[in-house]
Amino acid sequence: MIKVTNLHKSFLGAKKQPVIALNGLSFTAKDGEITGILGPNGAGKTTCLRTLYGLLKADSGSAIIDGISVSASPIEARAKLGIFPDKFGLYERLTAYEQIDYFASIHGLTGQAKHTAIEAIIKDLDMEVLAYRKTQGFSQGQRMKVTLAQALVHQPQNFVLDEPTRGLDVMSTRVLRDHLARFKDKGHCILFSSHVMQEVAALCDRVIIVANGKLAAEGTPTELCELAGEKLLEDAFVKLIGSDEGVAA
Amino acid sequence: MIQFKALLIKEFKEAFRDKRALMVAMTMAMLAPVMILVLSKTMIKEMVATPPIYLQVTGENFAPKLFKQLQQNNINSLTDAPEDMKDLWKERNVELIIPENFAKSMMEGRAITLTLRADFSEKALNAPIRRIKNQINSYAQSIGAKRLIVRGMDPRLLRPIKINDQDTAQPSSNAMFISLMLGLYVLMAAFMSGLSVAIDSSAGERERNVLEMLLCQPVSTFKIVVAKLCCASTISIIGVTLTLVLTSFSVGFVDLTKIGATFNLDVSMVLFLIILLLPISFFASALQLFVSFQAKSFKEAQSTVSMIIMLPAMIPVALMFIDDKPQWLDWLPVSGQSLLMDDLFKGIAINWAAFAATALVTIGLTTLLVIILSLRLKSEKVVLALS
Repeated sequence: MIKVTNLHKSFLGAKKQPVIALNGLSFTAKDGEITGILGPNGAGKTTCLRTLYGLLKADSGSAIIDGISVSASPIEARAKLGIFPDKFGLYERLTAYEQIDYFASIHGLTGQAKHTAIEAIIKDLDMEVLAYRKTQGFSQGQRMKVTLAQALVHQPQNFVLDEPTRGLDVMSTRVLRDHLARFKDKGHCILFSSHVMQEVAALCDRVIIVANGKLAAEGTPTELCELAGEKLLEDAFVKLIGSDEGVAA
Repeated sequence: MIQFKALLIKEFKEAFRDKRALMVAMTMAMLAPVMILVLSKTMIKEMVATPPIYLQVTGENFAPKLFKQLQQNNINSLTDAPEDMKDLWKERNVELIIPENFAKSMMEGRAITLTLRADFSEKALNAPIRRIKNQINSYAQSIGAKRLIVRGMDPRLLRPIKINDQDTAQPSSNAMFISLMLGLYVLMAAFMSGLSVAIDSSAGERERNVLEMLLCQPVSTFKIVVAKLCCASTISIIGVTLTLVLTSFSVGFVDLTKIGATFNLDVSMVLFLIILLLPISFFASALQLFVSFQAKSFKEAQSTVSMIIMLPAMIPVALMFIDDKPQWLDWLPVSGQSLLMDDLFKGIAINWAAFAATALVTIGLTTLLVIILSLRLKSEKVVLALS
């Protein structure tokens, strides 16, 4: 379970003017659910997720993962997380297997347990053919699979994805979606940010709409549509964040 | 420990699979022995030969015996010069004037003044002038000694004090030159060999977007930095070792005894140098990681790191110009090792206290760099620079 309470974060922008990225954001992502974060560009999604990883320190407020405060003990909190980052690069001189192995070891897996975990995730994602090839020259979809495998190899209780479907074709998006659904059924907590309305509508149990660094609305996709009095989630989204004025900047 | 092992294995895999970067790092080591071989061969050739000198002599008939001695030592009259040398020596314009009354004064035992005219500030003339003077002096001395002996006196009476020169710059300044080159070269190798790995594993990973992923993992930045440092400095140590081993082979092909010099690089010396340079390899890699982790791009890292390489090249050269070296130079990294290498090559006993001091200071500074770097990797600035 991921619980974010009243997060504030501002940066010094151009001419030393503070830019407010998060302005009292609060939400909870529960176990056994897929929670989607929707928001226009610059709404603070990535900042929020980076605060969750412990890469950024919030000015005030707290992020708690399975009862562990990220700011107080970032390493323990990260151990509970599987991360699919904003930009996913691969170690191009390693094979896919070695790369997954690397992340499994960082999460403390060893010996037979590690081997079984890696084999399982490779089979799960249907990437046996890729496993022993160096990742240089992998397609976007193949890269996504490797990144997904390395994030999930230790079976984290919580799984955070930052715009995972960017640049993926339909087939790869489906693989990802299937996997997330199965992961949810096992009782894990999934939090993912996206721009793509259909995807959020199809996949998420609950949606959090973020605008101007704070919560604009929260609920199931249907609830949100009702709340805004619109049929499509996209229209509801635009209505709920107000206009896009001053947000896209 | 599991984490550190995984980090280390991954760094080594990446470093050793980057064949091209590794090749570049090792060419540095391969070139050293070749360079030293060629340089010392040409130098020996120059040293052993006494090239002919052609000077303009006025009144050579007045002192035929003196002139004969000069000729025996390849110091000739300009009129005898072959065509191709004539112009050169005409331009150099070295002139020896023998007075008309040479023979008469010699008979009467009066002092004779010879005049040697030349541009004494011209470097190319240093050696010829020295040779001419030496020959004339030795001729004069032998006549003087004979005069005393004829009068029943011991010529040694004229020299109540004799200076016994013991040159600590031994065995000869030329072997010194070789060792200076080698010292400089191994220091450079320590800095150069690990360079590409250091940049690639820091600025390179940032540019390939894998650094953010790593920083999100439940692993301390200290472990990350130490793993990267171990890898880069191992490559650096391999570079240094290769340079030394190959050089010790190639020095065997040069006959330094021809110039009265001995320079050998035996196993114990190679081992000593490797141990001496071990901390420097770590220090160099730490410095390179420190700089390139803060650079915004691979390119920026490369240009900043190449400044660091100036360090091992500049410091030993600068040290040569300091006559009265302050004590603390013995302790600092690079300068301390450089001075110790000088001592070793000169055959002076190693000052173990200085050895320990410089090693400790170097290791201390390396640790400090690692700690600061791992703290910096936790800071938001580095994270914000990721995207």
